[in-house]
Amino acid sequence: MLLPTKRLALLVALCVYPIAGLHAQLDFTIDGRQVQAHGFLSEGFALTNDNNYLTMNTTSGNFFTEAAFNVSSQITDKFRVGAQVYMRDIGHFGQWQPELDWAMGDYRFKSWFGVRAGKVKTTFGLYNDSQDMEFLQTWALLPQAIYAVDQRSSYIAHTGGDLYGSISPKKAGTFSYVLWAGKNPSDTNGGYAYALRTIGVDYTSYGGRSDGADLRWATPVSGFIVGASYMARDVVGNGTWAFYGTVAPVHEESHKEYLEQFYGQYIRGKFHADAEYRRYYRGIMVNYTMPVNDDDRCWYVSAAYRVHKRLELGTYYSYFDDVRAYTGLTASNPGSYVHDKVASARFDISSHVYFKLEGHFMSGYAEAALVRGFYTTDNPSGFSPLTNMLVMRAGYNF
Amino acid sequence: MNYLRSILLLSLAAAAYASDVKVIVNASVNAASISAAELKNIFLATSTSLDGSHVEPVLEKGGPVHEAFVKEYLGKTDAALQTYYRSLVFTGKASMPKELGSDADVVAYVAKTKGAIGYVSAGASAAGVKVLEVQ
Repeated sequence: MLLPTKRLALLVALCVYPIAGLHAQLDFTIDGRQVQAHGFLSEGFALTNDNNYLTMNTTSGNFFTEAAFNVSSQITDKFRVGAQVYMRDIGHFGQWQPELDWAMGDYRFKSWFGVRAGKVKTTFGLYNDSQDMEFLQTWALLPQAIYAVDQRSSYIAHTGGDLYGSISPKKAGTFSYVLWAGKNPSDTNGGYAYALRTIGVDYTSYGGRSDGADLRWATPVSGFIVGASYMARDVVGNGTWAFYGTVAPVHEESHKEYLEQFYGQYIRGKFHADAEYRRYYRGIMVNYTMPVNDDDRCWYVSAAYRVHKRLELGTYYSYFDDVRAYTGLTASNPGSYVHDKVASARFDISSHVYFKLEGHFMSGYAEAALVRGFYTTDNPSGFSPLTNMLVMRAGYNF
Repeated sequence: MNYLRSILLLSLAAAAYASDVKVIVNASVNAASISAAELKNIFLATSTSLDGSHVEPVLEKGGPVHEAFVKEYLGKTDAALQTYYRSLVFTGKASMPKELGSDADVVAYVAKTKGAIGYVSAGASAAGVKVLEVQ
């Protein structure tokens, strides 16, 4: 439960900044062009009764941090540019290293057709592209069955481009589409690489091509959205594999890897409900000869209600399940699943400052290679089948 | 009978609520009217044009006119709208719309800014701007 200098400085900034009244949007002008600047800072604390979670020492209580800062400018009526830097420190993930989150040019020819190019956040399901911005959510942690913190970097963005647009046929609502192609960033510090280290595999590169599409329909029923996303991936990992005192090269590549997701959202007044389902099929070939296949089924349902101007209450159920024949684990084995029941309260101190209190009641731990928060390295004496967790978060955005 | 009277009163109240707001545009915008769906798409950044003219939405910063407009035409609360805009801004998909403090500020900004579209209270002066009929 250490409070290092960086974290202490951020906490002080979090307290002082809004008190000093510095909460207005930062707009300024460069060479006659208006530039907008926005940012957020979020400080969290997680405490579990058993099992260390998300590479943190949560059984003793562990702080974690996320922050981002962006600038953007509308160059012409149709052309906009911008960039965002993001930083996190969540257990072994991030470790305070700033990364370019997105940086792109966006040319919108018509409402029904635009192009984005550069490093672009990947539109996938309801929240893939905004999953870092928990200040947008009721929850301190999004449903980890789908928006797993430890898999964030694998899907969050692509270097390439989007084609996008919206059409609104008369009385039929609005259809919005995004088609994208590009390359995912190399992610040797994510949960997958972290999990592989437990069996002696150390990747020096892990990433590859990603293509996909998202289609969503804002139906004529006010506040009701349905949609579907698809992503095909062609990922390559290279590194070394240490076993029985020898170190050999290791190589993996996708031979068939895809994600499909279906979702719905309903917002009416103070009420908000989401539901998403994802199937993730991953077939890879290790060292050109050894096939490994995973077939994950993940879903969640959530509902939240703003009971007061400053208080929102919500709950969700998050379900992750993966039975892999080659591991010998059965469906009833807690090493195959994580089922998480969550109750959450969000207090909005102002429109820019908030505090969240959240309880998680998890069953199962989905063993290491499934990358769902529970790692052998952090739990050397084994796993308990049940984990209760308290999460608190405070944040500020402008 | 009481049930019918209640429905009638609620309908009248809703009509009065919507008519508390008028939609204004810069004189450069070709349109003379706008549908509720077009209005929603423009203010939710899924559309950037109206009758071939580029448009840029302008918001009032809080207040009853803003609350009425957001609820009636966008189907959201102000907090939900701010969350929506922030999700676009922090994913690089749009900029935050201009927010101004009063009817007079909105009218003045819309009058001088090519393509600007905003809303003000029904009784506000619309000097220098065009009032759109919402269909």
